[in-house]
Amino acid sequence: MSPLFILFAIPFLLALLIALTPQTTARRLKIYAFILSLIPLIYFFVVEPNSEVKIPWFPNLGVNFHLSFDSLSQIFVGLVLLIVPVAIASVASDKMEHSHTFYFLVFLLEGLLIGLFTSRDLAFFTLFWEATLIPLYFIIAQWGKHHPQRTALKFLIYMIAGSALMIAAVLALYFAGGQTFDMDRLRQVAENVPQAKWIFAIFLLAFAVKTPLFPFHAWLPDTYCNAPTPGTILLSALLSKAGIYGLLRIAMPFFPNMMQAAAPYLVPLAIFGVLYGSFAAWMQKDYKRLIAYSSFAHVNFILAALFAWSAMATTGGIYQALNHGITIASLFLVAGWLEQRIGTTAFGPVHGLAQFMPYLAWVALVFVLSSVALPSTNSFVGELLILLGLFKQNPWAAAVLATAVIWAVVYMLRWMQKIFFEKPSFYQEKWRDLGLKEFSIALPLIAIIFWLGIYPAPVLKQAEAATAEIEVKS
Amino acid sequence: MNAQLQGVDFAALAPLLFLTVLALALLLWETFSSATARKWAPLATVIGLAAALVLAYQAPVSTNPLLTPWLNFEGVSRFFTLFFLTVGLSTALLAVPFLKQFDPPRGEFYFFLVAALFGLILIGMSADFLTLFIGLETLSVALYILCGYMKKWEYSQESALKYFLMGSLAAAFLLYGIALVYGAAGTTQFSALKTAAQGSMPGLFLTGIALITVGLAFKAALVPFHVWAPDVYDGAPNPVTAFMAVGTKAGAFAAFALIFLVALPRFDDLWNELIALLAYPTLIYANFVALRQTQLRRFFAYSGISHAGFMLLPLAAGTPEALPALLFYLVVYALSTIGAFAILAFLDTSSEGVTFDDLRGLYSRSPYLAAGLALALLTLAGIPPTIGFFAKFYLFKVAYQAGYTTLVIVALLTTILSAYYYLRLVGILFSATPSEAPIRKSRSAALVATLAVAGLVALSVYPKLLTIFE
Repeated sequence: MSPLFILFAIPFLLALLIALTPQTTARRLKIYAFILSLIPLIYFFVVEPNSEVKIPWFPNLGVNFHLSFDSLSQIFVGLVLLIVPVAIASVASDKMEHSHTFYFLVFLLEGLLIGLFTSRDLAFFTLFWEATLIPLYFIIAQWGKHHPQRTALKFLIYMIAGSALMIAAVLALYFAGGQTFDMDRLRQVAENVPQAKWIFAIFLLAFAVKTPLFPFHAWLPDTYCNAPTPGTILLSALLSKAGIYGLLRIAMPFFPNMMQAAAPYLVPLAIFGVLYGSFAAWMQKDYKRLIAYSSFAHVNFILAALFAWSAMATTGGIYQALNHGITIASLFLVAGWLEQRIGTTAFGPVHGLAQFMPYLAWVALVFVLSSVALPSTNSFVGELLILLGLFKQNPWAAAVLATAVIWAVVYMLRWMQKIFFEKPSFYQEKWRDLGLKEFSIALPLIAIIFWLGIYPAPVLKQAEAATAEIEVKS
Repeated sequence: MNAQLQGVDFAALAPLLFLTVLALALLLWETFSSATARKWAPLATVIGLAAALVLAYQAPVSTNPLLTPWLNFEGVSRFFTLFFLTVGLSTALLAVPFLKQFDPPRGEFYFFLVAALFGLILIGMSADFLTLFIGLETLSVALYILCGYMKKWEYSQESALKYFLMGSLAAAFLLYGIALVYGAAGTTQFSALKTAAQGSMPGLFLTGIALITVGLAFKAALVPFHVWAPDVYDGAPNPVTAFMAVGTKAGAFAAFALIFLVALPRFDDLWNELIALLAYPTLIYANFVALRQTQLRRFFAYSGISHAGFMLLPLAAGTPEALPALLFYLVVYALSTIGAFAILAFLDTSSEGVTFDDLRGLYSRSPYLAAGLALALLTLAGIPPTIGFFAKFYLFKVAYQAGYTTLVIVALLTTILSAYYYLRLVGILFSATPSEAPIRKSRSAALVATLAVAGLVALSVYPKLLTIFE
């Protein structure tokens, strides 16, 4: 069996395994799940599954189960495998009910995302695209707070509305491309299809809603805030990448000329999204919402890079997609730890926590600095490449976008200041500082952040290779 | 020409003959020893139907000229026979807990069920309008009684009467249509239809075909011929509703398929346009009204109408690929609907049936039931990665290929609408405040639910399993 198929299958097996684990305490089950979640990650690094799987699956429709692994897939699959353990580590196991089902859904999502990021058959891409919604829906509906059912349904309706027409677009491509779902073949013909403009617009809409691009973000604040912390991590770090991956895998290679033609409209939208997200983040009275809007601003930064149609910006965008995933997961992780301790996500009730929980404050600060792209952190490399690439295309756009870096500092440090600094509140029993377990999660993340910031060459090479495959001209 | 029936012919007919004997035996048993029949008839029926399934699976193909003008033994008919027997077997199993719970004063339930099944199989095997009509009527007469089987139920009587009146009307349309087609073709055989379509009396022929279409549209509950369905489904006992939702609907579509996909593929674009015109209101109306339902039997009535709308897509397309697409969809629809009804059987304790309220928080009370029902509902909604998605995809592909782009887009949009109400129900299953409706235990319903869910999972993972039929 090919290593890629094994990598794809492992999460599903883990899902079954965790579902069949005998009844035990939530705390112990969390440890099991965490250890299990490292298996695919280790497999990924040890075996390097650079292979292909192709099995006829629904011959009447010409659907093949076709997975393949290239540079782009590698970066996104790597991110998935890295983030899932982080998400599991962020579970507040003392309040968790139905833990078995929860971890089952997380592993299911992991498998589906691996499928999405490696699939080379458009039917399977669509299938995984839609299927990832199911575990997320249940995670939000079952373990969220503040009207979780309503939030989950809103999320789902937005997603389905965004991508329902995609099925029609996929069908249209299928017929025009000679009844095949093979992406490599469709790529040759996509732009010459009679309704190419519509198909392009529909794909773009689906990706824009998922990421989300301004102004398709109405679902985001409630969903990110009401989801449980691990759910928020999965949504912000991984699901938003599905939209970005869709742009890189389908919109850009399939419709290069149309992407370029649409750039003058899309780049301003994305830049406006960055500014809007920054401003909205600054206005928040709740740090989870603040991070949610900061995530929105940062993904729009990446979108601006991809829309700019410059090789350097695209490379930076791909690199930044990885960085954003790691940084935002870290931020929500810390926000979750903070929420467990102070019992609220609002600004106001408590101040000056740095005095009582210095380690937590320092860890949070490192993640915040990564988020604001301090030199030597991961985001600095990505954002610099994006700004350089954009500058060559359009200096004014780059200039406006560059201010976003300043806004990020303004709103992020506001969080730090309100919660960790200022005059300390009275000490409370629950305010323990970070323990060994939490450190063992945070330190590897910090290491990765600095490693990607100081020695970006190996991953950047992958990103460059991926850009070359998309054939973006500089 | 050999005009004598040989062993092989009897073997080919075996499922039908066996069902006749089984039905009559059940009736006599009930008459002579009501007490033992009450106790053992369910088991006898289940074993009998399982045996019939084996007989049908191994049935040879008869080429005897005494039979072939009337009955078809090959290909799609064989598929329908197996399909209907499976549906009948599941219904028989689902009836066990129902009859135990409500204990109706009379015991001919299984006789009527087997009789209805006989009619269904006759429809699937028919090669002539007369066999088709006999099949439809045998099915309908048995079902009229089954609908009103719970005499004490307030709505049951209304249900049976309504079904009877509407069914008679449909039969009248159908028969009149058959008469007109006979006038144009000079025969009632399906094989002669093609030549008759190009014959000297196109007006007569088309009028006949139109009336036949209307008659079948009543049976399939297509909008605007659907008004009976919600009330009838609502008033009927749960297993009967399951049988109607799957069996009767499939029967009507089997008739459609045999006449319009096998015998008369794309004989006149006008007819295909007409079917497309029926599909629009069926899809739109049923999906909108289903949004407001709170009782499960009514809910499945509207959901069934909307799925009938989806199954009109391949009929309208009429291409060679339409038939496998229709059959594939039918199997997926049947598996998920029967699975859902099997799970509802656990909760079915009052004549009002199961309401949305009873399902609230089912997950926290019985995770397996909730997960199974959720899977069935997601399949019905066509949400990937369930096979419901590809079943719909296949239909859309066929319709799109035949040029019905607008219809595909409308069907896609109504899919979103249907996703909303199925998912709302799924949401109720997982809500935090569980209801206190009693949950019964039933091994036979559990068996049906397990098999249906296993079938759905297997098909979702590897749909090629089913494509061997085609």
